[in-house]
Amino acid sequence: MNAVVEVKNLTKRYDNLRAVDNVSFDIGKGEIFGLLGPNGAGKTTTVEMIEGLRKPDSGLIEVGGIDISDGIDRVKEIIGVQLQTTTIYDKIRVGEAIDLFGSYYRRSLPTEEILGEVSLNDKKNSFVEALSGGQKQRLAMALALVNDPEVLFLDEPTTGLDPQARRNVWDIIERLRGRGKTIILTTHYMEEAERLCDRVGVMDYGRIIALDTPGNLIAQQNLESAVEFTTSNGVDKEFFHKLPKVSKVTQNGDRFILHTREASSVLAQLTQLSGENGLNLESISVRKATLEDVFLELTGRQLRE
Amino acid sequence: MKTLVGQIELETKLFLREKESLFWTLAFPIFMIVLFGLIWKDEMFGTIPAINYILSGIIVMAVMITCLVNTAMGIVEDREKGLFRRLSLTPLKRQTLIGGQLVNRYLIVLAQTAILIAIGVTFFGASVSGNGLLFWAVLTIGALCFLTLGFALTGLIKSEKAAHPVSMIVFFALMFLGGCFFPIEEMPEFLHPVCEALPAIHLNDALRMIAVEEAGIGTVWQELPVMLGWLVGCSILAVKFFKWE
Repeated sequence: MNAVVEVKNLTKRYDNLRAVDNVSFDIGKGEIFGLLGPNGAGKTTTVEMIEGLRKPDSGLIEVGGIDISDGIDRVKEIIGVQLQTTTIYDKIRVGEAIDLFGSYYRRSLPTEEILGEVSLNDKKNSFVEALSGGQKQRLAMALALVNDPEVLFLDEPTTGLDPQARRNVWDIIERLRGRGKTIILTTHYMEEAERLCDRVGVMDYGRIIALDTPGNLIAQQNLESAVEFTTSNGVDKEFFHKLPKVSKVTQNGDRFILHTREASSVLAQLTQLSGENGLNLESISVRKATLEDVFLELTGRQLRE
Repeated sequence: MKTLVGQIELETKLFLREKESLFWTLAFPIFMIVLFGLIWKDEMFGTIPAINYILSGIIVMAVMITCLVNTAMGIVEDREKGLFRRLSLTPLKRQTLIGGQLVNRYLIVLAQTAILIAIGVTFFGASVSGNGLLFWAVLTIGALCFLTLGFALTGLIKSEKAAHPVSMIVFFALMFLGGCFFPIEEMPEFLHPVCEALPAIHLNDALRMIAVEEAGIGTVWQELPVMLGWLVGCSILAVKFFKWE
Protein backbone atom coordinates (compact mmCIF):
# COMPACT_ATOMS: atom_id res chain seq x y z
CA MET A 1 0.00 0.00 0.00
CA ASN A 2 1.24 3.42 -0.95
CA ALA A 3 0.64 5.32 2.27
CA VAL A 4 -0.31 8.99 2.00
CA VAL A 5 -0.59 9.34 5.76
CA GLU A 6 1.57 7.39 8.18
CA VAL A 7 1.05 7.60 11.92
CA LYS A 8 3.31 5.71 14.29
CA ASN A 9 3.03 5.41 18.07
CA LEU A 10 1.29 8.73 18.44
CA THR A 11 0.77 9.79 22.05
CA LYS A 12 -0.65 12.93 23.61
CA ARG A 13 -1.20 13.51 27.31
CA TYR A 14 -3.25 16.17 29.01
CA ASP A 15 -2.16 16.23 32.62
CA ASN A 16 -2.45 12.59 33.59
CA LEU A 17 -4.96 11.68 30.95
CA ARG A 18 -3.67 9.92 27.85
CA ALA A 19 -5.90 11.57 25.28
CA VAL A 20 -4.18 9.64 22.51
CA ASP A 21 -2.35 6.51 23.53
CA ASN A 22 0.18 4.91 21.18
CA VAL A 23 -1.93 5.15 18.04
CA SER A 24 -0.59 3.86 14.71
CA PHE A 25 -2.19 3.54 11.28
CA ASP A 26 -1.50 4.08 7.59
CA ILE A 27 -3.86 5.56 5.05
CA GLY A 28 -3.56 4.65 1.38
CA LYS A 29 -4.07 6.90 -1.58
CA GLY A 30 -7.73 7.34 -2.47
CA GLU A 31 -8.88 5.78 0.75
CA ILE A 32 -11.61 7.11 2.99
CA PHE A 33 -10.42 6.36 6.47
CA GLY A 34 -12.73 6.81 9.40
CA LEU A 35 -12.00 7.29 13.06
CA LEU A 36 -15.08 6.21 14.94
CA GLY A 37 -15.64 6.54 18.62
CA PRO A 38 -17.62 8.30 21.32
CA ASN A 39 -17.01 11.92 22.29
CA GLY A 40 -13.72 12.21 24.11
CA ALA A 41 -12.25 9.07 22.59
CA GLY A 42 -9.33 11.02 21.13
CA LYS A 43 -10.43 11.21 17.49
CA THR A 44 -10.19 14.98 17.19
CA THR A 45 -6.91 15.15 19.10
CA THR A 46 -5.49 12.53 16.73
CA VAL A 47 -6.46 14.34 13.54
CA GLU A 48 -5.43 17.70 14.96
CA MET A 49 -1.95 16.33 15.55
CA ILE A 50 -1.80 15.09 11.95
CA GLU A 51 -2.96 18.52 10.75
CA GLY A 52 -0.20 20.16 12.76
CA LEU A 53 -2.58 22.00 15.12
CA ARG A 54 -1.33 20.18 18.20
CA LYS A 55 2.10 18.88 19.01
CA PRO A 56 2.27 15.20 19.90
CA ASP A 57 4.21 14.20 23.02
CA SER A 58 5.75 11.40 21.04
CA GLY A 59 5.29 9.53 17.80
CA LEU A 60 5.88 10.04 14.10
CA ILE A 61 3.54 11.59 11.55
CA GLU A 62 4.17 11.67 7.82
CA VAL A 63 1.80 13.25 5.33
CA GLY A 64 2.56 12.85 1.63
CA GLY A 65 5.95 11.49 2.63
CA ILE A 66 6.78 14.64 4.62
CA ASP A 67 7.56 14.42 8.32
CA ILE A 68 5.31 17.10 9.79
CA SER A 69 7.69 17.88 12.63
CA ASP A 70 10.04 19.59 10.17
CA GLY A 71 7.95 20.14 7.06
CA ILE A 72 4.67 21.57 8.30
CA ASP A 73 4.78 24.44 5.79
CA ARG A 74 4.99 21.98 2.88
CA VAL A 75 2.29 19.83 4.44
CA LYS A 76 -0.07 22.81 4.71
CA GLU A 77 0.05 23.16 0.91
CA ILE A 78 -1.22 19.63 0.33
CA ILE A 79 -3.86 19.20 3.02
CA GLY A 80 -7.35 20.59 3.37
CA VAL A 81 -9.03 20.75 6.74
CA GLN A 82 -12.56 21.13 7.91
CA LEU A 83 -12.60 21.64 11.65
CA GLN A 84 -15.46 20.64 13.88
CA THR A 85 -16.56 24.25 13.98
CA THR A 86 -15.30 26.59 11.34
CA THR A 87 -15.94 30.26 11.62
CA ILE A 88 -15.03 32.64 8.94
CA TYR A 89 -15.71 36.36 8.74
CA ASP A 90 -19.47 37.12 8.87
CA LYS A 91 -19.34 39.94 6.39
CA ILE A 92 -17.70 38.08 3.57
CA ARG A 93 -19.45 36.59 0.57
CA VAL A 94 -19.17 32.88 -0.16
CA GLY A 95 -17.32 33.47 -3.43
CA GLU A 96 -14.97 35.96 -1.79
CA ALA A 97 -14.15 33.54 1.01
CA ILE A 98 -13.18 30.85 -1.50
CA ASP A 99 -11.10 33.35 -3.51
CA LEU A 100 -9.43 34.51 -0.30
CA PHE A 101 -8.47 31.04 0.89
CA GLY A 102 -7.35 30.17 -2.63
CA SER A 103 -4.97 33.14 -2.55
CA TYR A 104 -3.15 31.61 0.43
CA TYR A 105 -1.99 28.59 -1.58
CA ARG A 106 0.54 28.29 -4.37
CA ARG A 107 -1.96 26.32 -6.35
CA SER A 108 -5.72 26.63 -6.14
CA LEU A 109 -8.76 25.48 -8.05
CA PRO A 110 -11.12 27.91 -9.81
CA THR A 111 -13.81 29.25 -7.48
CA GLU A 112 -16.66 28.09 -9.75
CA GLU A 113 -15.36 24.54 -9.66
CA ILE A 114 -15.21 24.54 -5.86
CA LEU A 115 -18.71 26.00 -5.60
CA GLY A 116 -19.97 23.24 -7.87
CA GLU A 117 -18.22 20.60 -5.82
CA VAL A 118 -20.16 21.55 -2.69
CA SER A 119 -23.35 22.68 -4.49
CA LEU A 120 -23.17 26.28 -3.37
CA ASN A 121 -23.24 27.87 -6.84
CA ASP A 122 -26.41 29.82 -6.09
CA LYS A 123 -24.95 31.15 -2.81
CA LYS A 124 -21.85 32.66 -4.37
CA ASN A 125 -22.90 36.23 -3.53
CA SER A 126 -24.50 35.52 -0.16
CA PHE A 127 -22.86 36.72 3.01
CA VAL A 128 -21.58 33.97 5.30
CA GLU A 129 -23.80 35.23 8.12
CA ALA A 130 -26.88 34.53 5.99
CA LEU A 131 -26.07 30.84 5.41
CA SER A 132 -27.87 27.98 7.12
CA GLY A 133 -25.96 25.50 9.29
CA GLY A 134 -25.73 22.98 6.47
CA GLN A 135 -24.59 25.61 4.00
CA LYS A 136 -21.92 26.83 6.41
CA GLN A 137 -20.69 23.28 6.75
CA ARG A 138 -20.50 22.95 2.97
CA LEU A 139 -18.63 26.25 2.79
CA ALA A 140 -16.19 24.84 5.35
CA MET A 141 -15.71 21.86 3.03
CA ALA A 142 -15.24 24.21 0.10
CA LEU A 143 -12.51 26.08 1.97
CA ALA A 144 -10.84 22.75 2.70
CA LEU A 145 -10.90 21.93 -1.01
CA VAL A 146 -9.55 25.18 -2.51
CA ASN A 147 -6.00 23.84 -2.89
CA ASP A 148 -7.15 20.52 -4.38
CA PRO A 149 -5.55 18.79 -1.37
CA GLU A 150 -3.96 15.36 -1.46
CA VAL A 151 -5.44 14.63 1.93
CA LEU A 152 -8.75 16.03 3.14
CA PHE A 153 -9.57 16.08 6.85
CA LEU A 154 -13.22 16.16 7.86
CA ASP A 155 -13.78 16.40 11.59
CA GLU A 156 -17.33 15.35 12.41
CA PRO A 157 -18.66 16.84 9.19
CA THR A 158 -22.32 16.15 9.92
CA THR A 159 -22.55 16.69 13.67
CA GLY A 160 -25.44 19.00 14.43
CA LEU A 161 -26.91 18.87 10.93
CA ASP A 162 -30.48 17.90 10.14
CA PRO A 163 -31.01 14.68 8.13
CA GLN A 164 -31.37 16.47 4.81
CA ALA A 165 -28.19 18.51 5.31
CA ARG A 166 -26.41 15.37 6.46
CA ARG A 167 -27.35 13.57 3.26
CA ASN A 168 -26.08 16.52 1.23
CA VAL A 169 -22.71 16.29 2.97
CA TRP A 170 -22.62 12.53 2.39
CA ASP A 171 -23.32 13.09 -1.31
CA ILE A 172 -20.39 15.49 -1.51
CA ILE A 173 -18.08 13.04 0.22
CA GLU A 174 -19.16 10.25 -2.11
CA ARG A 175 -18.52 12.49 -5.09
CA LEU A 176 -15.02 13.18 -3.74
CA ARG A 177 -14.48 9.46 -3.30
CA GLY A 178 -15.36 9.05 -6.98
CA ARG A 179 -12.59 11.51 -7.80
CA GLY A 180 -10.07 9.48 -5.81
CA LYS A 181 -9.54 11.90 -2.90
CA THR A 182 -7.87 10.59 0.23
CA ILE A 183 -10.07 11.52 3.17
CA ILE A 184 -9.74 11.18 6.92
CA LEU A 185 -13.06 11.46 8.61
CA THR A 186 -13.96 11.42 12.27
CA THR A 187 -17.46 10.68 13.36
CA HIS A 188 -19.50 9.30 16.19
CA TYR A 189 -22.24 8.20 13.81
CA MET A 190 -21.67 4.57 13.00
CA GLU A 191 -23.96 4.63 9.99
CA GLU A 192 -21.89 7.47 8.59
CA ALA A 193 -18.69 5.46 9.02
CA GLU A 194 -20.34 2.36 7.58
CA ARG A 195 -21.65 4.17 4.56
CA LEU A 196 -18.63 6.29 3.70
CA CYS A 197 -15.48 4.65 4.96
CA ASP A 198 -13.28 2.10 3.26
CA ARG A 199 -11.63 1.35 6.57
CA VAL A 200 -12.54 2.32 10.10
CA GLY A 201 -10.40 2.67 13.18
CA VAL A 202 -12.55 2.29 16.27
CA MET A 203 -11.25 4.52 19.06
CA ASP A 204 -11.96 4.35 22.76
CA TYR A 205 -10.06 5.98 25.62
CA GLY A 206 -7.33 7.21 23.28
CA ARG A 207 -6.59 3.84 21.70
CA ILE A 208 -7.52 2.23 18.42
CA ILE A 209 -9.22 -0.94 19.55
CA ALA A 210 -10.08 -2.29 16.10
CA LEU A 211 -9.16 -1.35 12.57
CA ASP A 212 -10.58 -2.87 9.42
CA THR A 213 -13.22 -2.44 6.73
CA PRO A 214 -16.70 -1.98 8.18
CA GLY A 215 -17.74 -5.32 6.66
CA ASN A 216 -14.81 -7.20 8.22
CA LEU A 217 -15.29 -5.54 11.59
CA ILE A 218 -18.85 -6.79 11.66
CA ALA A 219 -17.96 -10.25 10.30
CA GLN A 220 -15.08 -10.73 12.74
CA GLN A 221 -17.33 -10.25 15.69
CA ASN A 222 -19.69 -12.90 14.36
CA LEU A 223 -22.55 -10.47 14.63
CA GLU A 224 -24.33 -11.02 11.37
CA SER A 225 -27.79 -9.91 12.49
CA ALA A 226 -29.29 -8.56 15.63
CA VAL A 227 -32.68 -9.28 17.15
CA GLU A 228 -33.50 -6.49 19.56
CA PHE A 229 -36.30 -6.28 22.07
CA THR A 230 -37.26 -5.00 25.47
CA THR A 231 -38.67 -7.09 28.25
CA SER A 232 -39.55 -5.92 31.72
CA ASN A 233 -39.88 -9.38 33.23
CA GLY A 234 -36.56 -9.18 34.97
CA VAL A 235 -34.78 -11.99 33.17
CA ASP A 236 -31.05 -11.74 32.63
CA LYS A 237 -29.07 -12.42 29.52
CA GLU A 238 -28.17 -15.98 30.49
CA PHE A 239 -31.81 -16.82 29.90
CA PHE A 240 -31.47 -16.10 26.18
CA HIS A 241 -28.20 -17.96 25.83
CA LYS A 242 -30.27 -21.14 25.92
CA LEU A 243 -31.53 -20.41 22.42
CA PRO A 244 -29.63 -22.29 19.73
CA LYS A 245 -27.97 -20.25 16.94
CA VAL A 246 -27.56 -17.22 19.21
CA SER A 247 -23.88 -16.31 19.17
CA LYS A 248 -23.98 -13.47 21.65
CA VAL A 249 -26.36 -11.71 23.94
CA THR A 250 -25.90 -8.16 25.04
CA GLN A 251 -28.01 -6.55 27.69
CA ASN A 252 -28.50 -2.91 28.45
CA GLY A 253 -31.06 -2.62 31.22
CA ASP A 254 -34.28 -4.10 29.89
CA ARG A 255 -33.03 -3.98 26.34
CA PHE A 256 -31.56 -7.16 24.87
CA ILE A 257 -29.74 -7.80 21.63
CA LEU A 258 -29.38 -11.35 20.34
CA HIS A 259 -26.68 -11.70 17.74
CA THR A 260 -27.12 -14.46 15.24
CA ARG A 261 -26.51 -15.61 11.72
CA GLU A 262 -30.06 -16.98 11.47
CA ALA A 263 -32.42 -14.25 12.52
CA SER A 264 -35.66 -15.89 11.40
CA SER A 265 -35.00 -19.10 13.31
CA VAL A 266 -34.05 -17.17 16.44
CA LEU A 267 -37.15 -15.04 16.13
CA ALA A 268 -39.36 -18.13 15.97
CA GLN A 269 -37.69 -19.67 18.99
CA LEU A 270 -37.88 -16.43 20.86
CA THR A 271 -41.61 -16.23 20.31
CA GLN A 272 -42.00 -19.78 21.53
CA LEU A 273 -39.80 -19.24 24.57
CA SER A 274 -41.59 -16.10 25.60
CA GLY A 275 -44.95 -17.84 25.24
CA GLU A 276 -43.84 -20.72 27.47
CA ASN A 277 -42.41 -18.44 30.11
CA GLY A 278 -44.97 -15.69 29.95
CA LEU A 279 -42.45 -13.05 28.92
CA ASN A 280 -43.71 -9.79 27.62
CA LEU A 281 -41.54 -8.78 24.65
CA GLU A 282 -41.82 -5.23 23.38
CA SER A 283 -40.37 -3.18 20.54
CA ILE A 284 -38.97 -6.19 18.72
CA SER A 285 -36.83 -5.41 15.73
CA VAL A 286 -34.53 -7.40 13.51
CA ARG A 287 -31.66 -5.74 11.74
CA LYS A 288 -28.29 -6.36 10.22
CA ALA A 289 -25.50 -5.95 12.73
CA THR A 290 -23.83 -2.56 12.53
CA LEU A 291 -20.67 -0.92 13.71
CA GLU A 292 -22.69 0.17 16.72
CA ASP A 293 -22.89 -3.49 17.73
CA VAL A 294 -19.20 -3.92 17.07
CA PHE A 295 -18.48 -1.00 19.35
CA LEU A 296 -20.77 -2.35 22.03
CA GLU A 297 -19.10 -5.73 21.71
CA LEU A 298 -15.61 -4.29 21.93
CA THR A 299 -16.19 -1.88 24.77
CA GLY A 300 -19.34 -3.01 26.51
CA ARG A 301 -20.73 0.47 26.05
CA GLN A 302 -22.89 2.16 23.50
CA LEU A 303 -21.39 4.71 21.17
CA ARG A 304 -23.71 7.52 22.12
CA GLU A 305 -23.89 7.02 25.84
CA MET B 1 3.71 40.77 -0.52
CA LYS B 2 0.80 39.84 -2.77
CA THR B 3 -0.96 38.20 0.16
CA LEU B 4 -0.29 41.23 2.37
CA VAL B 5 -2.04 43.47 -0.16
CA GLY B 6 -4.83 40.90 -0.26
CA GLN B 7 -5.16 40.96 3.52
CA ILE B 8 -5.26 44.77 3.57
CA GLU B 9 -8.00 44.73 0.93
CA LEU B 10 -9.88 42.12 2.94
CA GLU B 11 -9.63 44.04 6.22
CA THR B 12 -10.72 47.25 4.51
CA LYS B 13 -13.69 45.53 2.90
CA LEU B 14 -14.73 43.98 6.20
CA PHE B 15 -14.35 47.34 7.96
CA LEU B 16 -16.54 49.14 5.43
CA ARG B 17 -19.23 46.44 5.72
CA GLU B 18 -19.40 46.51 9.50
CA LYS B 19 -21.87 49.23 10.44
CA GLU B 20 -20.88 49.28 14.08
CA SER B 21 -17.19 49.89 13.43
CA LEU B 22 -18.07 52.50 10.81
CA PHE B 23 -20.22 54.29 13.36
CA TRP B 24 -17.61 54.36 16.12
CA THR B 25 -14.63 55.16 13.94
CA LEU B 26 -16.21 57.70 11.60
CA ALA B 27 -19.75 58.81 12.45
CA PHE B 28 -19.16 59.21 16.17
CA PRO B 29 -16.01 61.40 15.98
CA ILE B 30 -17.67 63.51 13.28
CA PHE B 31 -20.73 63.92 15.48
CA MET B 32 -18.46 64.99 18.34
CA ILE B 33 -16.56 67.59 16.34
CA VAL B 34 -19.81 69.03 15.02
CA LEU B 35 -21.36 69.08 18.49
CA PHE B 36 -18.39 70.70 20.23
CA GLY B 37 -17.83 72.94 17.23
CA LEU B 38 -21.34 74.32 17.60
CA ILE B 39 -21.11 74.69 21.37
CA TRP B 40 -17.66 76.28 21.59
CA LYS B 41 -17.37 77.95 18.21
CA ASP B 42 -16.11 81.30 19.50
CA GLU B 43 -14.87 80.32 22.96
CA MET B 44 -11.32 80.28 24.16
CA PHE B 45 -9.60 77.61 26.27
CA GLY B 46 -7.02 79.77 28.02
CA THR B 47 -4.95 81.21 25.21
CA ILE B 48 -6.13 78.98 22.38
CA PRO B 49 -9.49 78.86 20.59
CA ALA B 50 -11.61 76.04 22.01
CA ILE B 51 -12.14 74.47 18.57
CA ASN B 52 -8.38 74.04 18.13
CA TYR B 53 -8.16 72.36 21.49
CA ILE B 54 -11.11 70.07 20.89
CA LEU B 55 -10.08 69.15 17.34
CA SER B 56 -6.90 67.43 18.47
CA GLY B 57 -8.76 65.87 21.40
CA ILE B 58 -11.26 64.29 19.06
CA ILE B 59 -8.52 63.13 16.69
CA VAL B 60 -6.82 61.39 19.63
CA MET B 61 -10.14 59.89 20.70
CA ALA B 62 -10.74 58.60 17.18
CA VAL B 63 -7.23 57.16 16.97
CA MET B 64 -7.80 55.34 20.26
CA ILE B 65 -11.14 53.92 19.10
CA THR B 66 -9.56 52.57 15.93
CA CYS B 67 -6.24 51.39 17.29
CA LEU B 68 -7.08 50.35 20.81
CA VAL B 69 -10.77 49.48 21.15
CA ASN B 70 -11.35 48.01 17.69
CA THR B 71 -8.08 46.11 17.71
CA ALA B 72 -8.60 44.58 21.12
CA MET B 73 -12.23 43.67 20.44
CA GLY B 74 -11.62 42.52 16.86
CA ILE B 75 -8.65 40.30 17.70
CA VAL B 76 -10.34 38.70 20.70
CA GLU B 77 -13.46 38.03 18.63
CA ASP B 78 -11.48 36.44 15.79
CA ARG B 79 -9.46 34.41 18.26
CA GLU B 80 -12.42 33.16 20.29
CA LYS B 81 -14.40 32.31 17.15
CA GLY B 82 -11.53 30.05 16.09
CA LEU B 83 -10.69 32.06 13.01
CA PHE B 84 -6.96 32.23 13.77
CA ARG B 85 -7.00 28.50 14.33
CA ARG B 86 -8.56 27.88 10.94
CA LEU B 87 -6.16 30.26 9.22
CA SER B 88 -3.19 28.61 10.89
CA LEU B 89 -4.00 25.49 8.83
CA THR B 90 -3.40 27.43 5.62
CA PRO B 91 -0.01 28.64 4.41
CA LEU B 92 -0.98 32.23 5.36
CA LYS B 93 1.78 33.61 7.56
CA ARG B 94 0.88 35.07 10.91
CA GLN B 95 2.94 38.18 10.15
CA THR B 96 0.85 38.74 7.03
CA LEU B 97 -2.39 38.32 8.93
CA ILE B 98 -1.34 40.80 11.62
CA GLY B 99 0.34 43.08 9.08
CA GLY B 100 -2.91 43.37 7.14
CA GLN B 101 -4.74 44.45 10.28
CA LEU B 102 -2.08 46.97 11.27
CA VAL B 103 -1.97 48.63 7.86
CA ASN B 104 -5.76 48.66 7.65
CA ARG B 105 -6.09 50.42 10.99
CA TYR B 106 -3.36 52.86 10.15
CA LEU B 107 -5.17 53.78 6.93
CA ILE B 108 -8.35 54.33 8.94
CA VAL B 109 -6.43 56.63 11.29
CA LEU B 110 -5.22 58.71 8.36
CA ALA B 111 -8.76 58.89 6.94
CA GLN B 112 -10.29 59.84 10.30
CA THR B 113 -7.72 62.55 10.88
CA ALA B 114 -8.11 64.03 7.41
CA ILE B 115 -11.91 64.10 7.70
CA LEU B 116 -11.89 65.63 11.21
CA ILE B 117 -9.41 68.33 10.21
CA ALA B 118 -11.39 69.11 7.06
CA ILE B 119 -14.60 69.53 9.05
CA GLY B 120 -12.94 71.52 11.83
CA VAL B 121 -11.27 73.92 9.43
CA THR B 122 -14.12 74.29 6.95
CA PHE B 123 -17.07 74.69 9.29
CA PHE B 124 -15.71 75.80 12.65
CA GLY B 125 -12.71 77.93 11.81
CA ALA B 126 -10.11 75.66 13.35
CA SER B 127 -6.61 76.67 12.37
CA VAL B 128 -4.18 73.95 11.48
CA SER B 129 -0.79 75.27 10.64
CA GLY B 130 2.68 74.08 11.54
CA ASN B 131 4.78 71.34 10.04
CA GLY B 132 2.50 68.81 8.32
CA LEU B 133 5.22 66.18 8.14
CA LEU B 134 5.92 66.45 11.85
CA PHE B 135 2.18 66.28 12.57
CA TRP B 136 1.97 63.10 10.51
CA ALA B 137 5.04 61.57 12.20
CA VAL B 138 3.68 62.25 15.70
CA LEU B 139 0.26 60.93 14.71
CA THR B 140 1.93 57.77 13.44
CA ILE B 141 3.83 57.24 16.68
CA GLY B 142 0.59 57.75 18.60
CA ALA B 143 -1.27 55.29 16.37
CA LEU B 144 1.46 52.66 16.82
CA CYS B 145 1.45 53.25 20.55
CA PHE B 146 -2.30 52.56 20.83
CA LEU B 147 -2.14 49.67 18.35
CA THR B 148 0.47 47.86 20.42
CA LEU B 149 -1.54 48.64 23.55
CA GLY B 150 -4.58 47.09 21.85
CA PHE B 151 -2.60 43.98 20.94
CA ALA B 152 -1.13 43.73 24.44
CA LEU B 153 -4.63 43.96 25.93
CA THR B 154 -5.80 40.94 23.89
CA GLY B 155 -3.31 38.84 25.84
CA LEU B 156 -4.98 39.88 29.11
CA ILE B 157 -8.55 39.46 27.90
CA LYS B 158 -9.63 35.88 28.36
CA SER B 159 -13.01 35.86 26.68
CA GLU B 160 -15.06 37.63 24.05
CA LYS B 161 -17.42 38.79 26.78
CA ALA B 162 -14.62 40.60 28.61
CA ALA B 163 -13.25 42.29 25.49
CA HIS B 164 -15.82 45.09 25.41
CA PRO B 165 -15.68 46.22 29.07
CA VAL B 166 -11.91 45.92 29.38
CA SER B 167 -11.12 47.88 26.24
CA MET B 168 -13.78 50.47 27.10
CA ILE B 169 -12.39 51.05 30.59
CA VAL B 170 -8.89 51.53 29.23
CA PHE B 171 -10.23 53.79 26.49
CA PHE B 172 -12.26 56.02 28.83
CA ALA B 173 -9.41 56.25 31.31
CA LEU B 174 -6.99 57.33 28.60
CA MET B 175 -9.51 59.75 27.11
CA PHE B 176 -10.40 61.56 30.32
CA LEU B 177 -6.93 61.48 31.83
CA GLY B 178 -5.47 62.40 28.47
CA GLY B 179 -6.80 65.91 28.07
CA CYS B 180 -8.98 65.12 25.09
CA PHE B 181 -11.89 67.34 26.15
CA PHE B 182 -10.54 69.53 28.93
CA PRO B 183 -7.07 70.50 30.13
CA ILE B 184 -5.71 68.18 32.78
CA GLU B 185 -4.88 71.25 34.88
CA GLU B 186 -8.58 71.26 35.76
CA MET B 187 -8.21 67.84 37.33
CA PRO B 188 -7.31 67.28 41.00
CA GLU B 189 -3.61 67.76 41.66
CA PHE B 190 -2.91 64.16 42.66
CA LEU B 191 -4.01 62.90 39.25
CA HIS B 192 -1.49 64.95 37.31
CA PRO B 193 1.39 62.47 37.61
CA VAL B 194 -0.95 59.69 36.47
CA CYS B 195 -2.00 61.74 33.45
CA GLU B 196 1.60 62.53 32.61
CA ALA B 197 2.55 58.87 32.73
CA LEU B 198 -0.11 57.93 30.19
CA PRO B 199 0.45 58.33 26.45
CA ALA B 200 -2.76 60.15 25.46
CA ILE B 201 -1.91 63.53 27.02
CA HIS B 202 1.43 63.58 25.23
CA LEU B 203 -0.12 62.84 21.85
CA ASN B 204 -2.68 65.58 22.49
CA ASP B 205 -0.06 68.10 23.59
CA ALA B 206 2.26 67.26 20.70
CA LEU B 207 -0.48 67.59 18.08
CA ARG B 208 -1.67 70.89 19.59
CA MET B 209 1.86 72.27 19.78
CA ILE B 210 2.39 71.53 16.10
CA ALA B 211 -1.04 72.53 14.77
CA VAL B 212 -1.67 75.59 16.92
CA GLU B 213 1.71 76.94 18.03
CA GLU B 214 3.62 75.81 14.94
CA ALA B 215 6.16 74.18 17.23
CA GLY B 216 9.05 72.29 15.68
CA ILE B 217 10.74 69.06 16.66
CA GLY B 218 12.93 71.11 19.03
CA THR B 219 10.09 71.44 21.54
CA VAL B 220 7.77 68.63 20.42
CA TRP B 221 10.34 65.94 21.17
CA GLN B 222 9.68 66.35 24.91
CA GLU B 223 6.32 64.66 24.39
CA LEU B 224 7.82 61.64 22.66
CA PRO B 225 9.66 59.66 25.40
CA VAL B 226 6.49 58.61 27.24
CA MET B 227 4.77 57.58 24.00
CA LEU B 228 7.82 55.70 22.78
CA GLY B 229 8.15 54.05 26.18
CA TRP B 230 4.57 52.80 25.94
CA LEU B 231 5.17 51.73 22.36
CA VAL B 232 8.20 49.63 23.28
CA GLY B 233 6.68 48.29 26.51
CA CYS B 234 3.40 47.31 24.86
CA SER B 235 5.23 45.72 21.93
CA ILE B 236 7.11 43.49 24.34
CA LEU B 237 3.92 42.62 26.24
CA ALA B 238 2.05 42.00 22.98
CA VAL B 239 4.71 39.63 21.67
CA LYS B 240 4.96 37.89 25.01
CA PHE B 241 1.28 37.48 25.84
CA PHE B 242 -0.40 37.40 22.45
CA LYS B 243 -2.53 34.27 22.11
CA TRP B 244 -3.54 32.68 18.83
CA GLU B 245 -6.06 30.35 20.47
